[in-house]
Amino acid sequence: MKPVLQIMSLAGLAALCAAPLCAQETGSVSGRVTDQATQQPLSGVSVTVANRSALTRADGRYLVTAVPAGTHTLQTRMIGYAPAPRSVTIAGGETLVVDLVLTGQAVDLSEIVVTGYGEQRLGNVTGAVSKLTTEEFNTGRIISPAELIASKAPGVQVVDNNEPGGSLTIRIRGATSVNASADPMYVIDGMPVGTGAGGGLSVAGRDALNFVNPNDIESVTVLRDASAAAIYGANAANGVVLIQTRAGSRGNTTFEYTGSASTSQITRTPSMLNAAQFLTAVQTYAPGNVAQLGTANTDWFSQVSQAAFGQDHNFSVSSGTDVTNWRLSLGYLNQDGIIRGTNTERASLGLAFGQQLFDDRLDLRTNLKLTRAAYDFTPGGVVGNAAQMGPTQPITDAASQTGYYEFPNAPSPNNPVALQSLVSDHGMNLRGVGNLRAAYRMPFLPALRANVNLGFDIARADRETFTPSILASEQKSGRNGNLYRNNQSQSNSVLETYLNYASALNFMPGTVDLTGGYTYQEEHGEYPELNLLGLSTDLLGPDGVPQALTTQNRLFVEDYKLISFFGRLNWNLNDRYLVALSLRRDGSSRFGPDNAWGTFPSLAVAWRLSQEPFMRGISSVSDLKLRVSRASTGNQAFGNYQQYSTYTVGDGQTQVQFGNTFVSTIRPSAVDPNIGWEETRATNVGLDFGFWNQRVTGTFDWYDKSTSRLIFTVPVAAGTNFSNYVTTNIGDMNNRGFELSLAAKLKYGPASPLAWNVTFTASHNKNTLTSINPYSPSAAAQEIPTGFVAGGVGTTVQVFRPGVPINSFYVYEARRNPDGTPVWATGAGAQLAMYVDRDSNGVINGNDRRPFHSPAPDWILGLSNYMSWNSFDFGFTMRAYTGNYVYNNVASNLGTYAEVTRSSPFNLHSSVLETGFETPQYLSDYYVEKASFVRLDNISIGYTLNWGGQPMRLFGTVQNAFTITGYSGVDPTAGLNGIDNNIYPRSRTFTFGSNVRF
Amino acid sequence: MNRTIKALSAAALLCTAVIGCTDTGVEPQSTVTEANIFSQPGSYVQFLAKLYAGLAVTGQIGPHGNADITSNDEGFYNYVRNLWVLNELPTDEAALAWGDAGIQPLNQAQLDPSNPFITAMYYRIYYQVALTNEFLRQTTTAKLNSRGHTDPTLVAQVAQYRAEARFLRALSYWHGIDMFGPVPLLDENSPVGATPPAQATRTAVYDFVVAELTDIIGDLPPAGPGTYGRASDGAARMLLAKAYLNAGVYTGTTHYTEAMTAIQAVIAGGYSLAPVWRNNFRADNHTSPEIIFPVTSDGLRTQTWGGTTFLMHASCGGSLDNPTWRASAGIDFCWWGLRLKPEAYSLYAAGDTARTSWFGTAGQTSSMASLSNFNNGIMAPKFLNVTSTGAAGSHPTHPDTDYPMFRLADAYLIYAEAQLRGGGGTQAQSEAYVNALRARGYGDASGNVPAGMLTLDTVLAERGRELLWEGHRRSDLIRFGRFTGSTYLWAWKGGLVGGASIAATRDLYPFPSSELVANPNLTQNPGY
Repeated sequence: MKPVLQIMSLAGLAALCAAPLCAQETGSVSGRVTDQATQQPLSGVSVTVANRSALTRADGRYLVTAVPAGTHTLQTRMIGYAPAPRSVTIAGGETLVVDLVLTGQAVDLSEIVVTGYGEQRLGNVTGAVSKLTTEEFNTGRIISPAELIASKAPGVQVVDNNEPGGSLTIRIRGATSVNASADPMYVIDGMPVGTGAGGGLSVAGRDALNFVNPNDIESVTVLRDASAAAIYGANAANGVVLIQTRAGSRGNTTFEYTGSASTSQITRTPSMLNAAQFLTAVQTYAPGNVAQLGTANTDWFSQVSQAAFGQDHNFSVSSGTDVTNWRLSLGYLNQDGIIRGTNTERASLGLAFGQQLFDDRLDLRTNLKLTRAAYDFTPGGVVGNAAQMGPTQPITDAASQTGYYEFPNAPSPNNPVALQSLVSDHGMNLRGVGNLRAAYRMPFLPALRANVNLGFDIARADRETFTPSILASEQKSGRNGNLYRNNQSQSNSVLETYLNYASALNFMPGTVDLTGGYTYQEEHGEYPELNLLGLSTDLLGPDGVPQALTTQNRLFVEDYKLISFFGRLNWNLNDRYLVALSLRRDGSSRFGPDNAWGTFPSLAVAWRLSQEPFMRGISSVSDLKLRVSRASTGNQAFGNYQQYSTYTVGDGQTQVQFGNTFVSTIRPSAVDPNIGWEETRATNVGLDFGFWNQRVTGTFDWYDKSTSRLIFTVPVAAGTNFSNYVTTNIGDMNNRGFELSLAAKLKYGPASPLAWNVTFTASHNKNTLTSINPYSPSAAAQEIPTGFVAGGVGTTVQVFRPGVPINSFYVYEARRNPDGTPVWATGAGAQLAMYVDRDSNGVINGNDRRPFHSPAPDWILGLSNYMSWNSFDFGFTMRAYTGNYVYNNVASNLGTYAEVTRSSPFNLHSSVLETGFETPQYLSDYYVEKASFVRLDNISIGYTLNWGGQPMRLFGTVQNAFTITGYSGVDPTAGLNGIDNNIYPRSRTFTFGSNVRF
Repeated sequence: MNRTIKALSAAALLCTAVIGCTDTGVEPQSTVTEANIFSQPGSYVQFLAKLYAGLAVTGQIGPHGNADITSNDEGFYNYVRNLWVLNELPTDEAALAWGDAGIQPLNQAQLDPSNPFITAMYYRIYYQVALTNEFLRQTTTAKLNSRGHTDPTLVAQVAQYRAEARFLRALSYWHGIDMFGPVPLLDENSPVGATPPAQATRTAVYDFVVAELTDIIGDLPPAGPGTYGRASDGAARMLLAKAYLNAGVYTGTTHYTEAMTAIQAVIAGGYSLAPVWRNNFRADNHTSPEIIFPVTSDGLRTQTWGGTTFLMHASCGGSLDNPTWRASAGIDFCWWGLRLKPEAYSLYAAGDTARTSWFGTAGQTSSMASLSNFNNGIMAPKFLNVTSTGAAGSHPTHPDTDYPMFRLADAYLIYAEAQLRGGGGTQAQSEAYVNALRARGYGDASGNVPAGMLTLDTVLAERGRELLWEGHRRSDLIRFGRFTGSTYLWAWKGGLVGGASIAATRDLYPFPSSELVANPNLTQNPGY
């Protein structure tokens, strides 16, 4: 259907443009439109003469044809600029040249915003879109691009894992999925990049976007609402993040260096018993274990942590002429983590090249990014064992095989210093992303451009973990050493072709911007892994093992394809009425045959009230625009091949003995052959406003997103399929909320040496899981436990349940003593004394658990402040969450005297002094803590001096300067799912650096 | 003009691309689909192997990974481990110390539809049923012919495979009616997908089990080293005998005569008692002449966290958790879990050396004041990962020791019981069989049952001693009417340290609550 449309529109356009050429006694007007302040050409300016209109091109040039001879008024229209009418006299058969200079009134509105497959002026955007540029970015030690925009855009939650370069999770307007990914789609310089769902592109535990050097980034645009994102169809349900990197600009060759050094300190560690308290606890509750205790006084956290040093160097050269521009950048980052041994090292190379050819008809742009990142991970268990290891125990023991002290019995905590020193865990990520974008303006029809985008994204991601057999924990567990390697690689290629027609319409009022295209995306991944268990020797370390008791080799090869057709129509009537209509049709190899293609439509309308005559008199209102949209988007971020019933061959450890031989097994899998995308339908109502020539601006948005066909793995009647659960499109979810952002330029302009900008954002989102299995008769049975915690196999503290937010905590209500501490009881009826028997059946069991808050914040507030005064600049970013809850798993797992009674005693969380628990109470709501907080994310000061005629800026930044919270654990932002189980501690980082140009 | 042509050709290229590349299909590469797997004749035996593996391991990666069924912990829910846990923990034989969800209620015979072990057992049973049905669908003569698999040797092999598969299905259905009662009956003619099956009566499924076993015995090979680990005619007759012996429980109609006939055929099937009782539970127990049907285990090639891995590790702890003892058992660490309930320990008399000398008593109390205190209750590390000559197994974590699901001693005791219940045979023969077991335990005739003194109670007690911790106890107690009610109380039955009566409805396990959701045709068993 789509190709036919395209051909028809081509033909239609040809007919349109052919007609005026035949007219008589007409002339033309041409010229160039520039900005009065910058002298730069202005594109997209509507120039109208006697009802004939044209839009200026990228170089500011325009041509209005078929203007009847005579004297007319030439009108210009450009959002954010004052109209510049003038009288022109046209002679038949001639072309009058009129160059125009426009004066900005509210230039913010004319800022160009990148949207999918095109650009728009900010003032004409019909969706909820946030654009952030260099000046607004977060400062300090920034490793991944997403850190740049944390707390900056409304509705965007950025969750980090505290490790240097560690994984970041972004949620735009809440999560729309449970079992598919809820991460947004990323498009970098027009290239859709994978974030590694399924692995291969990046190393697990480190952020997938680390390959982009944040120093190269010009702007980050977040498409928050469905109507803006819908052009990306089946990938757009979680929002889209568009990243533009810097390009060379016209002028002399410029060299720029930005470098910084930083030091980070650990902020909070879990509150564990000290040596004296620990000794008392063991003496009281496990006198038999006292003999194992030493006389040391060891602070294990200080033993495993360090003041972390970091350095970052960025060097770039850029240059440009009228037809060519380029920028080459080199970056080097080396950042230690506050847990000793953790490190991220990155070397990156970026090249941006632009060339205009054939009288500027052909615009070529190439972006190339090559990055090598090397990661040192904290060996698993260092943080946990630092909490669990008894403070009375020494660090070293000359008599032990490793030289480190270890408890004699098993199970026991393991010496974290030994783990840190003897275990190695490295990752390496090579990634190259490049694309060529060509836009060709048709000679016969300048308003028509053909675009091609060809790109690749290739990556190799290795991980290598070596646990020597000499380690006490290995010997106690019987694993006797382990070497694990994976060497994943993935390559993606993208072809996007589309036609774009942007023109004033001469048969009806307004201008149109029409886009139609086709994309083809292909992905190939190879995932080999090797796992050796029971090492014969540690001699060769991670580089080789002569013999292992068990060798496991695995290889998975996967392919994926996404084919799409899309079209979009933007209609703009005098910047007053704006309509955007788009349609995307996606076919994915992940969909089953009955669901092979999904269609994702979008409609958005906007009404700029400030353009209406009745508003003209109110000169203080520079912009007032109401937006309404409704759109459908999809989510296909789940595994490949889910629709195929496959036979899996068992490995060498699942064979069956038949007589004297062993036979490998094959197993069919249980599938829904028609699995498809999850679908989100969203409504957005927004208001953009600006006062006093945009000195104070703001937006308000309300949205309602309903996701259906949510993928859940639900039980099937036993015996009818080849497992007890089948993954299928079955559930529903809703996210509803509102967002407010306010920005004020309190002081600005050449008249004052002081510039002062303040931005405030507030976001509220309410997530509700609507249904899991609508066919099930029993509502109570529609519960999927989740939130596995440390302590007891299979203990979960959260639930997916209709009517409450996803990942709601699911716990007992603890009875409290008058002082607020939870009741502790033993003997008959202990449970009833400790917990509220909600169903009053005399027994505390699963039915007495209740959904109790969720990890998602009710409100996310952000406050950014930027000031400059003469040569000084000063800025800070603050963030606050309210209504988010965290389960303190360190307290629940270790806050019980049972831990000292184990064969070797484990250290206790200090909450036990308050609770007196002698057995673990994992499901007590006592451990679900309110984790609202206020944090000064970063505060920086800079001074710019003159260095050889060029500005040189010296700056200093403190990140995580303070956090005010009532939460008792390590970090109130303990991951997305709010379970604080020995998470990597948060650091406070001091960065000093300079920026020089020459 | 030249450029116009270029532009037009570019546009044409776009249109071609648009029309040409719309195929989104991508066939999986690293996995094999139903479409091609059976083109290879070797796939039949591999699929059959999976049916056996469903008893032994939990997924396609050993010891865990790529699990067969979804649960909160793959290793917990191995078929044999579930079977064992459900047949031993609620009885007078065993207690498990751990606090994981579902364990402590089972220790006390407090049964609940949401218990994860009950849930997993049900799924494991129907996983076997679903896979067997698919195997039978894929191995019909018509399917073989359509693939050109007409080689007579292969056809004959596949015929035997089908009989083996049906044995395994009958075994799981037997577990199904034994534990859950009126379960749904699906066979190879049932549709694949999600259509909830109807509930059958316990009698209908019992009849199906008996009919299937009767039908396949002739197609199964005789017992012998070449078929070790697989279903032989002896295994099928043993299962048949067990079904008949319990027929009164399952259907209300007893079939002791049929049980006697079947068990006599088993006993005549070429098995003999292992001279050393303990060799049935050691790493080389595949050489024991006594084992009729094992679930095999191999330290290097068949790894699981269930089966004998669980039994071996969970049953050691306390004073046994020292390097010397662990080395003597061939294992690397102890899980501090299983102990004897006092009643099981007190069944043994002094002198029963072979069956008791290895109990771990140091540091343990024979009484059980606390279920979760490992030091309460005698340790019974019955299964060892060393061979009969003391050599360690091939892997210290995952034993070579097979789980003896059926063995000749059980057949002897079935003979005695069927005889005493009027199924035929002679009391002298019964006593000879029982005394053969007792003499092996005592090392001489000092523990023998005097002639004419053998009673059903003696047989039940002897089953408790001889078959301790082999996963038979719950069925035995039910058949003897002692599991529920107050006739027989043991420590922690019904949640009291001294034991308490439990309702007769507890003779059946409840259907898992998740299954009641998935299959609205099921009616929960009474009392739940």
